[in-house]
Amino acid sequence: MNSQPVSVQTEGLTRRFGKFTAVDRVSITVNQGEIFGFLGANGAGKTTMIRMLCGLLKPSEGKGSVAGFDVYRQSEEIKKHIGYMSQKFSLYDDLTITENIEFYGGIYGLSREAIRHRREQLLEQTGLQDASRKMTRDLPLGFKQRLALGCALLHDPPVIFLDEPTSGVDPEARRSFWDLIYQTADNGKTVFVTTHFMDEAEYCHRVSIMRAGQLIALDTPGNLKKQYQQRSMQEVFVALVEAG
Amino acid sequence: MTPILYMIRKEFLQVFRTREMMAILFVAPLVQVLVMGFAITNEVKHITLIIADQDNSVLSREITDAFTHTDRFNVVGYERDMARVGEAIHAWQAQMALVIPPGFGRDIRRGSRPQLQVIVDGLDGNSAGVALGYAGAILQERARQVGRQMPAALSLRNLHRVELQERMWYNLNLNNAQYMVPGIVVVLLTVISLILASIGLVREKEIGTLEQLLVTPLKKYQLLLGKLIPFLILSFIELGIVLKAAQWIFAIEMQGSYLLLAGLSAIYLFSTLGLGIFVSTITGSQQQAMFVSWFFMLLMIMLSGLFIPIENMPPLLQKVTYLNPMRYFMSIIRDIFQKGAAARHLLQDVIPLAGFGLLIFIFSVLKFQKRAA
Repeated sequence: MNSQPVSVQTEGLTRRFGKFTAVDRVSITVNQGEIFGFLGANGAGKTTMIRMLCGLLKPSEGKGSVAGFDVYRQSEEIKKHIGYMSQKFSLYDDLTITENIEFYGGIYGLSREAIRHRREQLLEQTGLQDASRKMTRDLPLGFKQRLALGCALLHDPPVIFLDEPTSGVDPEARRSFWDLIYQTADNGKTVFVTTHFMDEAEYCHRVSIMRAGQLIALDTPGNLKKQYQQRSMQEVFVALVEAG
Repeated sequence: MTPILYMIRKEFLQVFRTREMMAILFVAPLVQVLVMGFAITNEVKHITLIIADQDNSVLSREITDAFTHTDRFNVVGYERDMARVGEAIHAWQAQMALVIPPGFGRDIRRGSRPQLQVIVDGLDGNSAGVALGYAGAILQERARQVGRQMPAALSLRNLHRVELQERMWYNLNLNNAQYMVPGIVVVLLTVISLILASIGLVREKEIGTLEQLLVTPLKKYQLLLGKLIPFLILSFIELGIVLKAAQWIFAIEMQGSYLLLAGLSAIYLFSTLGLGIFVSTITGSQQQAMFVSWFFMLLMIMLSGLFIPIENMPPLLQKVTYLNPMRYFMSIIRDIFQKGAAARHLLQDVIPLAGFGLLIFIFSVLKFQKRAA
């Protein structure tokens, strides 16, 4: 995997809000095509980290690049080269499925033909061809989630950030959503995912764990379990977080 | 440019699809202009009057008749006993009492100067004053006629009296709606644009789409323009509908230029849409935005001179009204409607209006950009 080009890299990345340090000197290197998990309790700094990488928030200190663009100076370029999906799914409930797809396609500056092409593709992928004129609010949560992921991928970005994408979805839908994540990674995209489901942590290629703004562990799930002599990521997480 | 067009299309789709929004936009303003146009009036009509005719002469009956034959007064009772008269006023049965004392008609004919009494419930001072004015006018008219019938010697002093001949400018018929309705139009325009802008932006914040939009290459100015252009267009449609309806229903005359009115409305909308953006940056939900918007609107309306003439306010408050963009637009719309004012007559209002509009808008946009970063 180390032969793959680097997709996301940070060095001593720090963000302070007044006296509070939300992210404290975090250094990571994520390779292209990797599924990189980000774990941590609420308030550990996961969201701040993601916001900095997406160009929503300027870091206070440290270096960072995403898809080859600098997080300080090239946030506009970064935005063109990433996809983002949050736990809220960020679709418009009062637009139809087609309208949502066309809207996001247009916002990303896709041409009319490109939008049409991607729309057909996405509808087929998600199995929503027959429902394309349906209001998005009428969709089951699992479908909404897949549609949101599809919208975040319309412009074919090399990196995608998923901020707790599966919260509130039933286990089966979560399972099939992870199939989609694997597919996405297989297509050479880097997937950056935060989650608080420890079983999902097992699915990641590598996992990082944050506590109080600091990175306290970073390795493959297998290595982490070995290192801390635990049987599951759940136990690793509990051991690590409680040790603090 | 294209991403902006996609924003605009999305915005219109959402507005026209939401039934509540359509109602807020097109039904509510019509109802409001109707209700407010008819109900909000400075005119005092149908003052409840109780008459205590203790004289019962020809003259006193003539006076009584004069009060009966006008829609300004509603005679609700005749009473001789003064205690009962006081009671009627106390019990809200009458706002005014006219007391003609015994021997009134006789004393007039003798040439002495008898007095009669008018008692007014002064609780609503403004109406009381107006009512008193009406009563005075009726009595004076009677007095003039009595004077003419009298021997020359007796009425001599009346001949030298200066008589006022009243003629009104601009609103010849003293049509109350002519003055009030354009003001109500301003209120509706303010409400719609302010609420549209604040709710429209906060809603995206609430459902999380704002964050989503901010991680797209969409620039913030594109985001704002994509949001505001549809609101501007809708506000204009609104203005057209309400104005036309108001003119048709209340027979209001438009003396000035529609083009000028439209142009100045656009300038005014900078203030209200800007304020809407500002509200969206300090609130987190549609409910909060609604609440804060109403706070601003209430202040603006109260200090606009719509209900309370600015000249009647305490000096300090008068100064505060200079900070209120609605004050300037209120005066502009009335000038255009009533006096057919041209742009050059309006400069003293247009300049501050444009200044505030720009200031509020720029400040809000900067605040939005900072917040959303």
